[in-house]
Amino acid sequence: MGDEGYKFHKEHLWFKAEGDTALVGITDYAQQQLGDIVYVDLPDVGDEIKKDESLGEVESAKNLSDLIAPVSGEVIEINNDAVDDPSIINKDPMGEGWLLKVKLSDPSELDDLLSEEDYKKLAK
Amino acid sequence: MPKYDVAIIGGGPGGYVAAIRGAQLGGRICVIEKGELGGTCLNWGCIPTKALIASTSVLRYINEAKRYGINIKGDVEADFPAIMERKNKVVATLVNGIKTVFKSYDIDLIKGTGSFLAPHRLKVTLPDGSTQEIEAEKVLIATGSVPAVIPAFPIDGKKIISSDEAVNLKEVPKSILIIGAGAIGCEFAFILHELGCQVTMVEMLAHAVPLEDIDTSKTMDRELKKRKIKLYCSQKVQKVKEDADGMMLATLESGEEIKAEKVLVSIGRVFNVKGLDLENIKVAQGRRGDILVNDRLETNVPGVYAIGDVIGGIMLAHVASKEGIVAVENALGGNKRIDYRVVPATIFSNPEIGSVGLKEREARKQGYDIRIGMFPYRALGKSHAMGEIVGQAKIIADAKTDKILGVHIVGAHATDLVHEAAIAIQHGLTAQQLGDTIHSHPTLSEALMEAAHDVHQIAIDMPKKN
Ligand SMILES: Cc1cc2nc3c(=O)[nH]c(=O)nc-3n(C[C@H](O)[C@H](O)[C@H](O)COP(=O)(O)OP(=O)(O)OC[C@H]3O[C@@H](n4cnc5c(N)ncnc54)[C@H](O)[C@@H]3O)c2cc1C
Repeated sequence: MGDEGYKFHKEHLWFKAEGDTALVGITDYAQQQLGDIVYVDLPDVGDEIKKDESLGEVESAKNLSDLIAPVSGEVIEINNDAVDDPSIINKDPMGEGWLLKVKLSDPSELDDLLSEEDYKKLAK
Repeated sequence: MPKYDVAIIGGGPGGYVAAIRGAQLGGRICVIEKGELGGTCLNWGCIPTKALIASTSVLRYINEAKRYGINIKGDVEADFPAIMERKNKVVATLVNGIKTVFKSYDIDLIKGTGSFLAPHRLKVTLPDGSTQEIEAEKVLIATGSVPAVIPAFPIDGKKIISSDEAVNLKEVPKSILIIGAGAIGCEFAFILHELGCQVTMVEMLAHAVPLEDIDTSKTMDRELKKRKIKLYCSQKVQKVKEDADGMMLATLESGEEIKAEKVLVSIGRVFNVKGLDLENIKVAQGRRGDILVNDRLETNVPGVYAIGDVIGGIMLAHVASKEGIVAVENALGGNKRIDYRVVPATIFSNPEIGSVGLKEREARKQGYDIRIGMFPYRALGKSHAMGEIVGQAKIIADAKTDKILGVHIVGAHATDLVHEAAIAIQHGLTAQQLGDTIHSHPTLSEALMEAAHDVHQIAIDMPKKN
């Protein structure tokens, strides 16, 4: 962390802009809470995700949780490596373990996201 | 002409069970069966599929052995003909078992096709074409059901098959399209998937196992997806044709196309009344040919009863058997009524499904104010020890009386676990009473105890709910 580009949603997904697209994943805090992740269910490329709504599920030894979208947009890529081997998400949730690449439909939504500092206050 | 107290047409789990109970009550009984005793259930349905699942479960354990700290050296391969041979042996053993019981009770088994000449006079066409007449005080129709077909994709038995062919495949297809993701479709999906077949499914309704409780259906959707079994929901197959390369090409109403080596049609079953010459007795039938009966299982023709799949309703083996017992007791002078309130239903997919009583949507529709308790397998010690953490137990209770209305389990051994719930519902137990019963540790049954606690938000091994 410490990287300027990351923004956070209170339901423990992060967002990082890359040009007019963005990467989305789960936070390190979420990964720790979940424990060993065994499966992640992601939308298909081309699907629309909607801010504050479930975009998929993550299943771990301890829990089965909805993944709540931090932003709205179209899915343009999913991380198949993470789908095939979800342990990548545990190892590197904010890097190699990203989940989706999306094309934002409403950039103003970014204003609602939290800074790393604010997210850390929430997730402890 | 031989004369019987009760003649039973069809020797499936409805007919053969009725025969034995009838003989226990002192009746002179015959069963007319054109195929093998045990009917669909034993020869084409319940038992063959479960025998195949036993083999594919062994294969799955071996393939997952590493997870349990076991290294397998050398190649592991499924010997499909041997798997089928084992299945055939299991079936033969059980068919012979019924024959032995029949002999011990002096039940006459007449091998042939039965039809009505009059309400109490039957004609049996024997395999050699000759006929024989039988007279009986009472007749039970237990002719079961056969796979439903749709003109857009008629079953040819080779490329487009029904479950009848699927239980007798000679080799594992490389790919298959399964039309219909109900109990039968899902069981075959997992069997074939384990054997290395690429499975695709199409379901008209919104989920896999769509008639189950919604949480069960959602779990099954996810488990199929996990195995990369693509399930098209809320979609209909419009047509199926053979492509130039010999593969089958299915077109969905959405226009999407699916290619597979074979197509398995599992869209339901139709009532088997063909060849019975029912017009000779003017028995009342429903719109789709089902035979209509009252709650004593007698038709509009006095002394003619009908049971099992051929009367529709809940088309399961144990329901057919219960109906057989009620009908034959009535035929022999009793006055029993059939009660369908507590019928456990099981699906042998992976994970398994066991359900009894009302689904959440049914309970709400019937106007109950309900409370729901849920407990995930992954919060149980036993699940982790076994390495089977998928699934949950869900209890639906009446908020006013706390009585259990329905229980829906999906997960390892759900098909066995559900019977505790059946007893609870049958005897009007409350969620508290079920939860108060000490359950052995560590067992999967604890999921039910905890789900019962969760109805009152006091499950132990779950974080506090806010
Ligand atoms: C693939 C598959 C899997 C299944 N798995 C399960 C399961 O796990 N659990 C479960 O509960 N249910 C299961 N079922 C359903 C179950 O098989 C049926 O509900 C059950 O067999 C119905 O019993 P029945 O006695 O009414 O009819 P059937 O079992 O269909 O028996 C009818 C018999 O009548 C004979 N017959 C028909 N017409 C005549 C005639 N005119 N003269 C003489 N004989 C005649 C037939 O040859 C047949 O033997 C499954 C079904 C299928 C197809």
